[in-house]
Amino acid sequence: MKKFVCIVLVLLTSDIADGQTKISGTVKTKSGNVISGANITLAKTYNGASADTAGIFSFSTTETGNWMLLYSAIGFKTDSIKISMIGKALIFNLVLKEVTSELNAVTITAGTLETGDNRKGAVLSSLDVVTTAGAVADIVAALQTLPGTSQAYSQNGLFVRGGSAAETRTYFDGMVVKDPFGSQLPDISSRGRFSPFLFKGTTFSSGGYSAQYGQALSSALILESKDLPERSSTEVSLLSVGPGAAHTERFQNSSLTIGGVYYNLKPNYTLVHQNVKWDQFPVEETANIQYKWKPTKNSILKVFSQYSNNEVSLFSNNPDDANLLHVINYNKNIYTNVSYQQFIITNWKIQGGVSYCNTNESGKIGSDDYRRNDHLLQGRFTVTRYFARRSLIRTGVEAYQNSSLEGWNNLTRAYWDNMQATFTEAEVYINEYLVVRIGSRVEHSAYLAQFNLAPRSSFALKTGIHSQVSLAYGFFYQNPDDTYLLQSHQLGYERATHSMLNYQYLANGITFRAEAFYKQYADLTKYNFNGAYKEYGVNNYTGLYNGGHGYAKGLDLFWRDKKSIKGGDYYISYSLLDTKRNFRDYPLQATPPFAEKHTLHVVYKQYIPCLKSEISTAYAFSSGRTYYNPNNPIFLSNQTKSFNNVSFNISYLTRVVKQYAVVYGSVNNLFGFNNIYGYNYSFSGNLREPVLPAARRNILFGLLVTFGDNTFNH
Amino acid sequence: MKTFTLTLLLFFGTLTLKAQSADLYNLAMQKGLSMIDSAGTSEQFAAAANMFERIAPAAKNQWLPQYYAGYCGMLSAVLGKQTSDIKDALYDKAMNYAEMANALKPCNSDVLALEGYITFMKMAVAPQERAMTMIPKADELLGKAMTLNPANPRPFLVKGQDTFYTPEAFGGGKANAKQFLITATDLFKKSKPTEFEPRWGAKRCQDLLQQCQ
Repeated sequence: MKKFVCIVLVLLTSDIADGQTKISGTVKTKSGNVISGANITLAKTYNGASADTAGIFSFSTTETGNWMLLYSAIGFKTDSIKISMIGKALIFNLVLKEVTSELNAVTITAGTLETGDNRKGAVLSSLDVVTTAGAVADIVAALQTLPGTSQAYSQNGLFVRGGSAAETRTYFDGMVVKDPFGSQLPDISSRGRFSPFLFKGTTFSSGGYSAQYGQALSSALILESKDLPERSSTEVSLLSVGPGAAHTERFQNSSLTIGGVYYNLKPNYTLVHQNVKWDQFPVEETANIQYKWKPTKNSILKVFSQYSNNEVSLFSNNPDDANLLHVINYNKNIYTNVSYQQFIITNWKIQGGVSYCNTNESGKIGSDDYRRNDHLLQGRFTVTRYFARRSLIRTGVEAYQNSSLEGWNNLTRAYWDNMQATFTEAEVYINEYLVVRIGSRVEHSAYLAQFNLAPRSSFALKTGIHSQVSLAYGFFYQNPDDTYLLQSHQLGYERATHSMLNYQYLANGITFRAEAFYKQYADLTKYNFNGAYKEYGVNNYTGLYNGGHGYAKGLDLFWRDKKSIKGGDYYISYSLLDTKRNFRDYPLQATPPFAEKHTLHVVYKQYIPCLKSEISTAYAFSSGRTYYNPNNPIFLSNQTKSFNNVSFNISYLTRVVKQYAVVYGSVNNLFGFNNIYGYNYSFSGNLREPVLPAARRNILFGLLVTFGDNTFNH
Repeated sequence: MKTFTLTLLLFFGTLTLKAQSADLYNLAMQKGLSMIDSAGTSEQFAAAANMFERIAPAAKNQWLPQYYAGYCGMLSAVLGKQTSDIKDALYDKAMNYAEMANALKPCNSDVLALEGYITFMKMAVAPQERAMTMIPKADELLGKAMTLNPANPRPFLVKGQDTFYTPEAFGGGKANAKQFLITATDLFKKSKPTEFEPRWGAKRCQDLLQQCQ
C-alpha cells in the first residue's frame, strides 16, 4: 500500500519534476528508405510524435518504467517495441515492413481478366462495358475487345484462343447459364440475354480457371450480380430499337426491381440498308424481377428471374436454290437464379444457390417445322474457410439436371442427364510474394456414364512493387454439345489441357499484360456428315465418336494507359493465335474459321467538357479467316481478306425534365468497310455466296433517363 | 490513524489522477486543434492526424479524437500529391476513424457530414468508375447530416463544395453550388461551437462563395 501511495505521489509531482525522457530516432524501410509522416506513440499515453520528411522524430515524456512504443505509417505494418525509461535519452532506428494490402498483394492473374469497379487490376470498369464503341452495352461485345478473343463475325458467343463458342461457359453468381444468348440465326449473331447493368463485376478467364468452374473447355465468363442498391430510382430508356423501363424500390434492408424492354428492330433496320432480306424484323420482349435482401452486414440473398421472348423471320440465301429460304424463329427463355451467402462464425463462409434455365425454340425452315427445348436445373453449395494472409480452402458440391429435345416435323428425340460435381481448392499465400492455388474437380455424368477428374494449379510470384509473374496449368472437361448427345449415348467427355505464363505490370494508371499459352485438345467430337449442313435447324450425324484433337498456342498482349491523356484513356489489345484441330467432320487437322491468326483492338475514350460529352472510338482488325472451298483439294486452306472495323460512340450528358439523362449515339463500321465473313458454296461447288454482316453499318441512338436519383437536383 | 491518512492520501491522489487525466486530454486536444488551425499543407494535416491518432486510443470513450483523426487524415490526402493507391488507403483509414466516431456518438450531424466528405473525396480518386455509386452514397450521408441538425453549417458547406467541383453536365457547377454555400454562410454566423466540437469551415465557405460570385 505504501508503495502505491509513493507511486501516486511520484505521479502527482512528475509534472513539475524534471524527470523527462527524450525519445528520438528515425523510421525507415528495411532497405533504408525514409518513411515520412510515420506516427510514433508511447502506447496508452498522449505522448508521441510524427516523423518529419527525413523520417526523423523526437519527443519527450515524463513517464518512467517499461512501456510499449508503437510506430505506424500508411502502407506499412504497424509495429512496436518494448522500451524502458530510466531517465536517460533514448534513440531508436525503427524499421517498418510494407503491408500486404490489396494495393500491392500478389494475385493469380494467369488467364484472368477482370472488369468492374474497385477491383484491383480490373482491365475494364463497368462503365467501360457500357460505353466502349461498338459494344452497344453488350457484355460479350465489350469483352471481344480484350486479348484472347477472336472476332465473332456472325456467330453468337465468345471464341477464345482457338476454341469454339460452345467452349466458353457463362456463370451467373457461380452457376452455369445454359443459353446465355438468343437464337443463332443464319449468319446473324444475337445479343447476350443479360444487361450489363445487372452486374457489379465480370471475370473473363481465357484459361486456367479455378476448379469451381466446370463444363468449360476453353473459357469461363463469370458474372457477379450487384448487391443491394443504394436507393429507389426509376430508369427509362428510349432507344431507336425500342423502349425500356425499370423501377427499383429500396426498403430498410431489401430491394425490389421490376423492369422490362420491348425492342423492335424495324425502324432501325429500315433506316440502314440491310444485306438480309427480313420478313418480320426481330422483336424482343424481356421482363425481369430482382429481389435482394441483406439481413446482416455479412449475408445477402439475391433472386433474379427473367423471361424473354424473341420473334423473327427472314429469307435466307441458299446457293443451291435460286429461291430464298423462308426461316421463322420463335425463342422463349426463362432464367431464374437464387443465391444466398453468409459468413457463419468469423472465418467461415457458406454459399448456396439454385438456378433454372428453360429455352423453347420453334419455327419453320421452308415448309419444315422444327423445335428445340433446353432445360437445366442446377444446385450448388460451397463452404469457404479463410485463414491469415487471405489464404483459403474452398470446397463445394453441384448437381445438374440437364435435358434437351429436338423436333423436326413430326419426329422428336430427347435426352436427359443427371450430373454431379464436387471440387476442392486451396489458395495459399506462402508469403507476401508467392501464392499457390491447387485444386481439383470431379464430375460424374449419368448419361455419359463416366467420371472425370480435373486437377488444376496456378502460381503467382511478385517480381517487383508493380509487377508479377503468374503460371497456370490444368485439365478441363466438357460434355459434347446437346446436338451430338441427342444422337448418341456412346460419347464421352471432351478434354483440354491449358498451360500459360503471364506477366503483369500494374502501376498508377498503367496496365500491361503479356501472356503466352499452349492448349491441347483431346477427345473432341467427330462425325461423318453427308449433305448440306443446316447452320440452323436440325442436322443428322452418323458415326459420332470422341476422336478429335488439336492444339492452340499463341501470345496475348494488353496495354492500357489512363494517365497520359487528360480526360482520356486508351487501350490496345493484340492476340497472336496458331491453332489447328480435327473435329466435327474435318478430314484432317486444319485451322477452323473462327480462329484468326492476328487480332487487334484499339479503343480510345475522351471526355470533352465543353461538349459535355464522352466520345469513344474503337478500331478492330483481324487477319483473314479460313473457309471451306470444295474446289480446293486442301481442306480449309482458303482465306478471306482481313477484317477492319471502326466504331464510334458518343454520350452527351444532360438533363431532361430536371432528371439526369444521357443522349447516346453509336455507329458501327463508320467507314463502311466491306467485310466478308466467309463463303457458302453450293453442293456442286460451282456457286458461292459470300457471308456478309446483316448490315454494313449499324446505327443506334437513344436517350436514357434516371428518375429519383436526385443527386444534383434540389 | 496511519491507515486513515493513507486512505485520505489515496483518495485525493485518485481524484488528482482523474483530474490530471482530464487535463492531459484537454491539453492534448488543445494542442491538436491548434495544429489544425495552423495547418495548410498535406504534411501538416498528416502530423495533426497523427496527434489525434495518439489521443484516440488513450481517450477511448471520446468521439472527438476519432473524428479529428479522420478529418485530418482525409485532408492530408486531399491536399497531398500521393498516388491514387495511397490516397485510397488514406481515405479508407479516415473513414475507419469516422465510423469509430459514429459508434461512440451515433446520429451526429458532424460525423455523418465527415463521412459524406470522405466518400466524395474517395470518389474523386477515380470519378469515372466511382461517380455512379459513390456520389449518391455521399449525398445520402450529407442529407442525413442536414436532417439530424439543420443548424449545422458543415453538411451544407460540404454539399456546396461537392457541387462546386462536379462538372455542370452532371448537375454541378458554381451556380448550383451557390445556394448551399449561402445557407452554410448564414449558419456559420449563427453557430457557437462549444469547446472542442467541430468548428471548421467558415473560411473555406467564404473562399468558395467568393469564387462563385
